Amino acid sequence: MKRNIRSNAIWLAIMIAGFVIMDGLEAAGLINTFIENAIVTVGINIILATGLNLIIGFAGQFSLGHAGFMAIGAYATGIITQQIASPLGFWLSMGIGIIIAIIAAIIIGVPTLRLRGDYLAIATMGASEIIRVIINNLKITNGPAGMFNIPQYATWPVVYVMVCITTIMIANFVHSRAGRAVMSVREDDIAAEAMGINTTKWKLAAFVFGAATAAIGGTLHASYIQTIAPGDFGIMNSISILIIVVLGGSGSLTGTILAAGVLGIIDTVLQNFGTLRMVIYALALILLMVFKPGGLLGRWELSFKKVNKKKGAPAE
Amino acid sequence: MSLLNVEHVTQQFGGLTAVDDVSMQIEKGELIALIGPNGAGKTTLFNMLTGVNTPTSGKITMETAKGTVDIAGKRTDQVAALGMSRTFQNIRLFSEMTVLDNIKIAMTHKSHENFIETMLRLPSFYKTEDAIDSKSRALLKDFNLDPYVRSTAGSLPYGLQRRVEIVRALATKPQLLFLDEPAAGMNPEETADLSAVIQRIRNEYGVTIILIEHDMSLVMKLAQRIYVLDHGSMIAEGTPAEISQNAEVVSAYLGGEVVAEGK
Amino acid sequence: MHTIIQQLINGLSLGSIYALLALGYTMVYGVIKLINFAHGDIYMLGAFWGYYVLKFWHLNFFVALLTAMVFCAILGVVIEFLAYRPLRHAPRITALITAIGVSYLLENGMSYLFGASARNFPQAIEQQNYHIGGFAISNIQVLILVTAIVLMLALQLVIKRSKMGKAMRAVAVDQDAAELMGINPNHVISFTFALGSALAGAAGVLIGLYYNTIDPLMGMTPGIKAFVAAVVGGIGSIPGASLGGFLIGILETIVQAVGLSAYKDAAVYIVLIIILLVMPSGIFGKRTKEKV
Repeated sequence: MKRNIRSNAIWLAIMIAGFVIMDGLEAAGLINTFIENAIVTVGINIILATGLNLIIGFAGQFSLGHAGFMAIGAYATGIITQQIASPLGFWLSMGIGIIIAIIAAIIIGVPTLRLRGDYLAIATMGASEIIRVIINNLKITNGPAGMFNIPQYATWPVVYVMVCITTIMIANFVHSRAGRAVMSVREDDIAAEAMGINTTKWKLAAFVFGAATAAIGGTLHASYIQTIAPGDFGIMNSISILIIVVLGGSGSLTGTILAAGVLGIIDTVLQNFGTLRMVIYALALILLMVFKPGGLLGRWELSFKKVNKKKGAPAE
Repeated sequence: MSLLNVEHVTQQFGGLTAVDDVSMQIEKGELIALIGPNGAGKTTLFNMLTGVNTPTSGKITMETAKGTVDIAGKRTDQVAALGMSRTFQNIRLFSEMTVLDNIKIAMTHKSHENFIETMLRLPSFYKTEDAIDSKSRALLKDFNLDPYVRSTAGSLPYGLQRRVEIVRALATKPQLLFLDEPAAGMNPEETADLSAVIQRIRNEYGVTIILIEHDMSLVMKLAQRIYVLDHGSMIAEGTPAEISQNAEVVSAYLGGEVVAEGK
Repeated sequence: MHTIIQQLINGLSLGSIYALLALGYTMVYGVIKLINFAHGDIYMLGAFWGYYVLKFWHLNFFVALLTAMVFCAILGVVIEFLAYRPLRHAPRITALITAIGVSYLLENGMSYLFGASARNFPQAIEQQNYHIGGFAISNIQVLILVTAIVLMLALQLVIKRSKMGKAMRAVAVDQDAAELMGINPNHVISFTFALGSALAGAAGVLIGLYYNTIDPLMGMTPGIKAFVAAVVGGIGSIPGASLGGFLIGILETIVQAVGLSAYKDAAVYIVLIIILLVMPSGIFGKRTKEKV
């Protein structure tokens, strides 16, 4: 009990310190719109990628449909905050986005999570594309043109707080009976079942949880950027979230946060390179993978618990 | 009533009958061996009994605290929750996780998981976690696995992996434990350790055990009763002494010198 | 009915292209279990090769087709050697991300070096429309279909009859065992990439001729569709990839023809999901149940 309180206190201190530093820099005028934009994007990517890491890295279910759930959150916010233009409307839209994403995740997950590996990946990718095509053809979503002038309630402090909350929730999930059950499915589902773990239930739990956080990411994205279109939520967007997960080390939340940050920095620096930007980005990605096949951190996690200090598991 | 009642179960895969009209009764506290040549259908029978496969026909029932329960058609995890646990012919540990976590996972289904409790880290969450932690450690210590608590399960030597797998099965608090060729690939020393472990599980933990084994000296030493399966059919049942004299069994094993040396 | 048959004819052309691409996916997947995300971009490079050969050297169409195949085969081998071989024993998802990186590199490298704009593919063969029994079919459609079928038959021959083909099948079943039998998996994998990439190159030139327009991002969508086709057919299965390709091509064309073009992608994915739910390993995929 005591060690937990101590470690939780350290985490809380880090979160508050991060906020204070950010606030100070903002007040001192050191952060311009461009940098703020980059930082908020990193934050949203952390939310999206930790959720996907839960599904891929911890539960071992290869989902390629994250952008679809993100789209649900984004459109829920786009539609609702244009009707109810108030912070209340914003939070309400986030809640509704989460609920719809959960329902969609159950509808998609129950049949498809029986599939294995790449078959699951391709099925979830297909499901996500179906969501996008539906959005593309609905009136309420304004079709292919997308939605503009979405009121901005997701300021950086809102995003910051949501990053902290979702990360804590996912970390708490992972470091619990639930987390162990989910990981046992990844390690060996047949043995897990024989040990009394309902593998279907836990696969779905991780999938639904991940989808819910994707919806939160979508809400924040829509409200911060203020413009959304179906094209923002395609296969390539699911893949860029996947890249963050694998680059950080699938199965390491710390790695995901680090990778989101690293990619954010690379992206910001490369802005000056014009058309060469994506070429360099692609080369960097290939080189990172070739030289760090297990991701930046493998399965290592930052921990402040003295007793429970885990050695980094060797990369797969 | 017997603890486990198997009545006329048959398992067909397409045109192949892997297990043909097999019946067996297991009493509480027994230590039973299931033997037979390779391909006789032993593992298939285990898979039916533990809910991995559903029998094509026949009935499997188990006596539990809540009365007689029909096993056939239940999911593996439901069967496990009823008090049946097993090990696998090819070790199936959660190999990238620690030995301790392997044991903790086996205890998961006994403790209620509450989402709010987990998310908010309420004191009750820590209470259950700590209880699982100390129970797991105690169990590992009891089988001399305490030095490996933090080791990655897959990194252990073969004999220890077998032992972890058996202890993990025991951690689900089973009434009935199925061991699928636990001595396969072991040297005589490891086999001796194993037989001590199996006997302790039966005597100290009061678990009924059924094992598939090819090592006849182990079978003859441990088993009270032996079932013999050949070509999917149960050809004999009896005490080790009876089985080693059984002509049909001897012929199934082609000469039967292996059986003879048992006693 | 008439429209449907007409669309079936049109769908065969698109289906041929998907089938040629799907074969590359399925072979590579069969041998090293990698979703070669950059495969669609090889097809793009094949189209560009054809474009330059035809436009600046004014060579014969078939020369363009054959040289594009050779060019892409070499490219495929080089990419495998540089980007995928170092990751042979890495987690599969790492290799997948690398393939995505290669895909980005080819797309953006082409945009950077040659410009991102779309360009007109030279009409090396003049289009002629035939009317047979009320159905319209062009010589280019016939060319695409015939070329695709010839290539598929040649592939089948290579895989079934040649020594390398046998080695390929052996590695696909069990790489370690194949190695013990004296097969060098590196050669086999290079050969597989060469074959698959050559087919993609041919598909690129054919699509250039059919659609008249090419650009550096042209490989993205067909690449994904062709992969879907390979999965529908049962990934790892050669006849499956051909069948899946035709199936997806025809489906897309028909959905478009009945006026639901906005939903054509959705239709493809719905069919994909339904097929996977009924046959979890695709139409011709081997159903492997894990042994307990």
